[in-house]
Amino acid sequence: MREKQAFHRAAPTWCPGCGLYGVFDALKRAAAALDLEPENLVTVTGIGCHGRMNNYFLGYGFHSLHGRTMPVATGIKLANPGLRVVAVSGDGDAYSIGLGHFIQTVRKNIGITYIVSDNRLYALTQGQVSPTSDFGAVTLSTPFGSKDFPIDGPTLAFAAGGTFIARGFSGEVPELASLIERGLRHKGFSLINVLSPCVTHNKLNTYDWFRKHIVHLGDDPAYDPRDRGKAWAALSQPEKIATGLIYQEDKHGFEELMLTDPRRAIGLEELRVEAGRLDKIMEKFR
Amino acid sequence: MIKDLSVMIAGIAGDGVLFTGNVLARLFKRHGWEAATYRDFPSNIRGEATSYIIRASLDKIYGLSDRLDILMSFDCEATISHLPEIGAGGIVFCDGKEDAEVPAGASRGKAFHKFPLRALAREHFGQEIYKNMLALGALAYVLDLDCTVLDRIIAEMFLKKKGEEIVRKNVEAAAFGYHKAGEITSGKDRHPLTRRPDRGRILISGDEAIAFGALAAGCRYFAAYPICPASEIYQWLTRYLPEFNGVVVQTEDEISALNMAVGAAFAGARAMTCTSGPGASLMMEAFSLAGMAETPVVIAHVQRLGPATGVPTKTQQGDVLQWIFGSHGEFPRIVLAPGTVGECFDLTVLAFNLAEKYQCPVIVLTELDMGQNYRTSKAFNPAGVRIDRGKLLGRDDLLQAHDYRRYEFTADGVSPRALPSFKGGVHIAESLEHDEHGYRDENDANRIRMMEKRMRKLDRAGRDLAPPRLWGERKAEAGFISFGSTLGAILEARDKLREKNIRSNFLQLRTLWPFPAAAVEKFLEGCEKVFIVENNYSGQLATLIKSQLSPCRELRSIVNYSTRAFLPGEIVRPVQRAFR
Repeated sequence: MREKQAFHRAAPTWCPGCGLYGVFDALKRAAAALDLEPENLVTVTGIGCHGRMNNYFLGYGFHSLHGRTMPVATGIKLANPGLRVVAVSGDGDAYSIGLGHFIQTVRKNIGITYIVSDNRLYALTQGQVSPTSDFGAVTLSTPFGSKDFPIDGPTLAFAAGGTFIARGFSGEVPELASLIERGLRHKGFSLINVLSPCVTHNKLNTYDWFRKHIVHLGDDPAYDPRDRGKAWAALSQPEKIATGLIYQEDKHGFEELMLTDPRRAIGLEELRVEAGRLDKIMEKFR
Repeated sequence: MIKDLSVMIAGIAGDGVLFTGNVLARLFKRHGWEAATYRDFPSNIRGEATSYIIRASLDKIYGLSDRLDILMSFDCEATISHLPEIGAGGIVFCDGKEDAEVPAGASRGKAFHKFPLRALAREHFGQEIYKNMLALGALAYVLDLDCTVLDRIIAEMFLKKKGEEIVRKNVEAAAFGYHKAGEITSGKDRHPLTRRPDRGRILISGDEAIAFGALAAGCRYFAAYPICPASEIYQWLTRYLPEFNGVVVQTEDEISALNMAVGAAFAGARAMTCTSGPGASLMMEAFSLAGMAETPVVIAHVQRLGPATGVPTKTQQGDVLQWIFGSHGEFPRIVLAPGTVGECFDLTVLAFNLAEKYQCPVIVLTELDMGQNYRTSKAFNPAGVRIDRGKLLGRDDLLQAHDYRRYEFTADGVSPRALPSFKGGVHIAESLEHDEHGYRDENDANRIRMMEKRMRKLDRAGRDLAPPRLWGERKAEAGFISFGSTLGAILEARDKLREKNIRSNFLQLRTLWPFPAAAVEKFLEGCEKVFIVENNYSGQLATLIKSQLSPCRELRSIVNYSTRAFLPGEIVRPVQRAFR
């Protein structure tokens, strides 16, 4: 196993105590545990505090537009299936502006690991309400309390046919690293939704608040993440938030189904003009 | 001797008008004639009037003429509405409901024949659908075409997919139509066409030519969302790209389509998307991303009538300035505009080379008239395709590199490109302003240098772009400037103006951006009066020319924002008025 330091490019400048430090650390640990070469790992980030992740993490990367991590990551994975592709988003990036792409990519079951760092508001823009903010949450943009009911990423992924659905917590880095590592080993799309407190703008969903509301699925020996009924029950607990691997199943990966030869990287192929074959196709127009 | 002839197939959407017309166009081509088609369809699948014009000529043609000679109509209403368009001496065949009547007098001066195609098809072949073959047989009779050629086309279409029995029945239906037309017309009313060798030409639509060009250029990743009139591009590729180890992904929207192509291009694939109208608006965001990340992508935009949903099945050139000046921020982009199907192929190949050489998005801009209509063309030359990947590094190039910089400040602004998985090439593509390594850098001095680096990439691109094509002499009384599929109508307008003793020339722009200012300026010097011809309301090309040439002499706009493409006469008349 390689040192996690191999994936450390620069020290982050997030607010001290930000949940993203835990995500950053867990991602480095997972990459090290898999003994990956930095050049074979691509991180794709969106816009939000999380977006700087690939400025700090060492490896190829694409810091894309707000909400667009999923299509960019899909393009990369299909062009070179040999790459490990990790997308990182926040709750606004993934579940608001990028929600359509999120659902569509889950249902493709393409081999991307998606880490959504969920702090339940927009932090980079100074603390507006987000799709995962609690009902009634008082934020910069909802001074009289949010009138929207929140949505839950893992539940949406479950409905969309997700094949690896997990929830971690920034305050529990070893467990989070293990979830990311398992996600990276999973064939197909893996979602790791991370409860990731914003210490500057979110005074409600704090580390302590999360600790009080978390139930660890791993603590229940009878829990089976391959049981859809149990997964649904775990996702539907009132007043509690289940963490751990919620659901997993085996399904064909999109790249296997779409690519003529998934072992070849179309992005790396020598391009030759195949005049003979092209001439033959042109016959159809005669 | 007949040198030029146009046939309209008309009916109700769902009648097989397109099928019938396409077979007729192929039939013309196989008889050695040039062919061009023009579809006039509603934007629904069934129930509304639809027509398809197939023009054949001994001369090279690129579009419609002002005249219609033959109408083959499956519907009375359609006959009534199109009868006035048929020239004197024209031939009309009309099927229709038994109780519907074409008013007496409406067909004066034309040979009008009731032809109960549906009833005959039902009676003799059991199904109404054979009416299309009856119609084709009848047209073959009137035009004195070789029935064995039609039989061969039928076999090519149906043998593999539907089997011998269907081929036999269709051949019989065509023969029946041929003889029936002889009876109905009593042997009069024929427009016999001379036969020439086919000379190995092809019959292809602009959309197919772009798709074929992409395949030949090494495009291996195509992402798109269905939209009229661009879908044919990626649909064609879904059949062929897998054979070449490539992939076509239908995305959830156009936002995803361009972002996906950007991702694939970042990972090294030659990647492309296609769209039209509203889809292009959705792509504006990722267009800017490709500019900032310096990712080579190709976007084919087949323009349709707007704004908003507009009329999705009608042609227009209203999105020119959107690609030249659109999206947030400033970044280099290239806009190519093919005017023939051959250029659709060539300029798509060029687009991929330019995208990689200059590491920027390249647009291949056409319009519905070019994209969905068919034209005969000299066969394309795949063996002549050259692939230029610009400053793309190989894996080995980086083994000795100490400090690889993806966005290195270079004299020409283009930086060496490494691909994910290359050791020593690690970098990020950053949508934020960034330093030479790709990492965020908002420092003022860096911003200024990086902006200048990106923007100067195209400073010397001129010699690599598609140059304007001059049709005619350097000096003329009337000078036309235009782009895209208006070419056909302009060339025919020039012929007609010559007959009226007005000498004209035509500068066909094939690159709209970077703007070929020197060539346009030189052209303007040679013309007495200049006419900018375009298929939009506000004269976007004229606006562009004025913005790029200062001072600019007087330009006269000939615009058309109707639901139809230009007819030659619509260009001749304003020119004549200007010289009166």
